[in-house]
Amino acid sequence: MDKLGQEWVSAAVDGEVDAQTLAELSADKDSHEQWRDYHMIGDAMRGELPKTMNLDLSASIAAAIELEPAILVPVQPKLEESQPTKKSNVIPMFKQFGQYAIAASVALVAVVGVQNYGQDSAIDASPLPVLNTRPLVGSVTPVSLQTGSVKQNQGYSNVQVMEQRQRINAYIQDHMLQQRLNNGVTIGDNSHSERDLVPVNN
Amino acid sequence: MRLFLLALLVLHFPAMAQEDMSAKAWLDNMSQALRDKEYKISLIQLQADHIRPLVYIHGKIEDQEVAFLEHLNGPPKNAVRVGNTVTFIEHDQPAYSVNANRIQGILPPAFAGNISALESGYTFVLGGRSRLAGRPSQLVRIIPVDDFRYGYQVWLDLDTYLPLRYDMLTQDKQLLEQLLVVELLVLDDVPAILNEAYKQKWPGVISQPTRDAGDNWKFKWLPEGFKVLVKDSHRLMGSHEAVEYIALSDGIANISVYVARAGDAMMPEELVTRNGLSLATERIGNAEVVAVGKVPAETLSRVAKSITIE
Repeated sequence: MDKLGQEWVSAAVDGEVDAQTLAELSADKDSHEQWRDYHMIGDAMRGELPKTMNLDLSASIAAAIELEPAILVPVQPKLEESQPTKKSNVIPMFKQFGQYAIAASVALVAVVGVQNYGQDSAIDASPLPVLNTRPLVGSVTPVSLQTGSVKQNQGYSNVQVMEQRQRINAYIQDHMLQQRLNNGVTIGDNSHSERDLVPVNN
Repeated sequence: MRLFLLALLVLHFPAMAQEDMSAKAWLDNMSQALRDKEYKISLIQLQADHIRPLVYIHGKIEDQEVAFLEHLNGPPKNAVRVGNTVTFIEHDQPAYSVNANRIQGILPPAFAGNISALESGYTFVLGGRSRLAGRPSQLVRIIPVDDFRYGYQVWLDLDTYLPLRYDMLTQDKQLLEQLLVVELLVLDDVPAILNEAYKQKWPGVISQPTRDAGDNWKFKWLPEGFKVLVKDSHRLMGSHEAVEYIALSDGIANISVYVARAGDAMMPEELVTRNGLSLATERIGNAEVVAVGKVPAETLSRVAKSITIE
């Protein structure tokens, strides 16, 4: 800070500068200390100094101003803390994906169910001989047999229908499995034949 | 001129031979082609409302038949065959191997076996020619000798004798099941996947300790051509119910007959599914005879009724 500047600030303190110069001065941070010192010198000379005083008021005001926007915008340290929570937001996203996948598979099951129901109703038109029960729908492999509901016409209870269905499924699955297991055995290989079997008269 | 005629005759000879071939000879050629040729077949299987696209690759490595079947839709479901071992690789259970000379679940295994064994239950009749999978083909009808089983039709490629279409029909010509080849590729080399499958170590053939010799069950009546393949006693896969089991076959159609203690839930007397699989139950005292198979339900009833113990 040069001599000329000091004089200039001093003049401002004494109210001897115009508004424009004052504005320039307020923009010049370095002069603020001198401004404060000159005011204090003036106050001391006039005997107006308080008993205790904060010598660095402008700094504390500046600090207060610094803090002020913290109320409107999240404060810096707080933002840093929220960073990890942002990362953890990613994990729920994946969780959500998992949920979607489950939902999708459930939807698939639902569609399969609907298709089976469709088959059930379509079966009514089937010219094949159907006694007692409605046909059930099975796929080729024993392990992934898809079956529609088997309904009895004879007013059995639900439990009995379920039990019957399970037994039918067990037999059909076993039949399918046996096809795989017996595949190595061909007609020519076996000594059994219906001619060997003696008719039995009861 | 004579030479020209001779040349013409020689050129025509293969075609002439095909003209003169009997239906049985066509099927014999098919059987041989299925076993010996190297090919990749993309096909669609139609069963009731189920449509399944499949790929079947077959080749020979070191004189052993190697085959691979893949279900293209849905959860992975494959089967690999090396020699006389078939390994099923499915998503919902660990892979397991069985002794088998064909991969079950597409064409009847008998089609690649001894065709003569089918003659007691079926007659073979030549049909017309048509174009399938972009290839000319010959229809061969496999007609049941009686009403106790279903009929079949197979269309064979004129070039390779490989099947291009397979139908399973009821007596009223109602379609129960169909295999439709979309693309047939005859391969010059063993495809890489089969080489890999051949080198791969597959799980050992599952032992069947539960296969005790069953009781001495006899049948008073069986449809012509049906023979007992296997007899044992085991437990049903799902319900663990103990059953006496008899497997019957006429070469194409397979019937499983179970004898078990009657359960609390009555089994239906007869039941027919849209893909041709039927079930019939005969109750004798507190025992139950259940017959399952891809034959008309009446056949199963009659078979179930005719069982006796010696």
